Amino acid sequence: MINKSDFKKINDYLWEYPRRSGMKVPARIYASEKMLGEVFKDRSVEQLINTASLPGIINYSMAMPDIHEGYGFPIGGVAAMDSEKGVISPGGVGYDINCGMKLLKSELSEKEIFPHLDKLASKIQQEVPSGLGRGRQIKLNIDALDKILKGGAKELVEQGYGEKEDIENCESNGFIEQADPEVVSSHAKNRGRDQVGTLGSGNHFLEIQKVEQIFDEETAKKFGLFKNQVVVMIHTGSRGLGHQIATDYIQVMMRAMPKYNINLPDRELACVPFKSPEGQRYFTAMSAGANFAWANRQMIAHYIRRVWTEILGERSQLKVLYDVAHNIAKIEKHLVSNKKAEVIVHRKGATRAFPGQPVLIPGSMGTASYILVGTEKGKESWYSTCHGAGRMMSRHAAIRALSGQEIINQLKAKGILVKCYSMRGIAEEAPQAYKNIDEVVEVVHQAGLSQKVARFVPLAVIKGE
Amino acid sequence: MDKGYKILEHPADVRVQAFGKTKEELFLNAMKGMTEVLQPKIQIPKSKCQRKIKVKSVDLNALLVDFLSEVLYLIQTNKEIYNDIKFIKFTDTELESELSGNKVESFGEDIKAVTYHDLKIEQKNGLFEATVLFDI
Repeated sequence: MINKSDFKKINDYLWEYPRRSGMKVPARIYASEKMLGEVFKDRSVEQLINTASLPGIINYSMAMPDIHEGYGFPIGGVAAMDSEKGVISPGGVGYDINCGMKLLKSELSEKEIFPHLDKLASKIQQEVPSGLGRGRQIKLNIDALDKILKGGAKELVEQGYGEKEDIENCESNGFIEQADPEVVSSHAKNRGRDQVGTLGSGNHFLEIQKVEQIFDEETAKKFGLFKNQVVVMIHTGSRGLGHQIATDYIQVMMRAMPKYNINLPDRELACVPFKSPEGQRYFTAMSAGANFAWANRQMIAHYIRRVWTEILGERSQLKVLYDVAHNIAKIEKHLVSNKKAEVIVHRKGATRAFPGQPVLIPGSMGTASYILVGTEKGKESWYSTCHGAGRMMSRHAAIRALSGQEIINQLKAKGILVKCYSMRGIAEEAPQAYKNIDEVVEVVHQAGLSQKVARFVPLAVIKGE
Repeated sequence: MDKGYKILEHPADVRVQAFGKTKEELFLNAMKGMTEVLQPKIQIPKSKCQRKIKVKSVDLNALLVDFLSEVLYLIQTNKEIYNDIKFIKFTDTELESELSGNKVESFGEDIKAVTYHDLKIEQKNGLFEATVLFDI
């Protein structure tokens, strides 16, 4: 059994598990000493060590403080692979390709919004379908869907569902150009046809929030943030389309691995060389899935903006602060042994944090969320940081601990409005089921991977089913 | 056990443990467990549906994952659930079957995918048992 004593302390917020047999590189976890003690509760450390055995991995397999058990890679995992000799793995991206965050800023303060809050939240809930059967259903034809797979949020903006600034303030300008709809299966396309602009279920949410605290005045000003300002946070991904791409390509890779002499301790780590035909097909399909997710968040933003101006008038506009993925693999250039090199960065439950870039970190339902800013020091983690609170309690345990109504009452007591069709959905996402977001963010702040800019608290939580 | 499956706990997701006197029954019960996770609301008046599927995989574990993935796809895209299967062909690497069930109005839960995480198919006291984890 692996335990804390197997880890070497690098500094107060970084711990290393030395390279052992089968590992190509050491494994590192960003955590406080207290949090490190908690990571052995599930199998995430074993998964992090397995990740260190993947061909072509550079420097370390890394985990952010919100690490928890995933499939293949742990959630909170970061790994960069050599683009010539390394592999690409759907297990390093996750089933929800480009699950991520988008933040819309208003110019209004909490006081100004308060009389309209209930109406705004109710109307947003009506206008943004969950995609599980309730609400508006728009089914795209395959040609229209292919355009979105190719052009992502950029395509939707060109069609009039947003502003030019929306894609300027979006990771990769809202699309990965290598995306190829041809390598996305008809199954995946059919699952996605009626899901553009849908929220999904589980931990996905919309929140109307206010800026509660500012840590870095200068950056907050640059980002257009001020105290008590009202913002809207969107958390969702590529829905069934992305899930199906992951399922399809895990199958493809499992069949192809013997050809490349790859043997792995866990089938969910299935991978192939990035430069192989299967690797290239997965990357271009995953990119199409990522584009779909950017388009999905763009369309949701469009629906929210429509509600916003309908209720608050044309003069009240929502501007995008940023949109960023936390489940993705990207081709990036980084310094490797002091030379610029092309690497494949897998971020699974980890957020890109380029220097100066806004980083959006959601808390669990009803707790705080953060805006951070990327730093130069972030290069040690391929400019990556945490992605959220990280689940600790099973959904059943959460339901047993507190009922949906009790949680609604608790949130109400804190002045937070909840709009959700399903009491069970609320109970499953109880704040108690997650790690403390303040502790998670403190670690990445202290470790220097990204710096705190502002802390937000919810005024209204809107969930799918 | 009466239902032929149990829904077990997992910190982030849902695990279904299914049982069967035969592999065919095991697959049927795993499908029923997956369906319960989705919390379907059946269309009233009930409307029946039938689908045919064919799956080929590298081994029995993969066959179960691929079979459930294919059924999940049909459930989600056609908005229907299946409560019976007629197997036309069943080996450890290939199956062909007819599914029958009912149309669904909506689902209370989304399943993203069927995973290989901790996937086990065992035979205990003459009973097949499988544990499958679903990403939700």
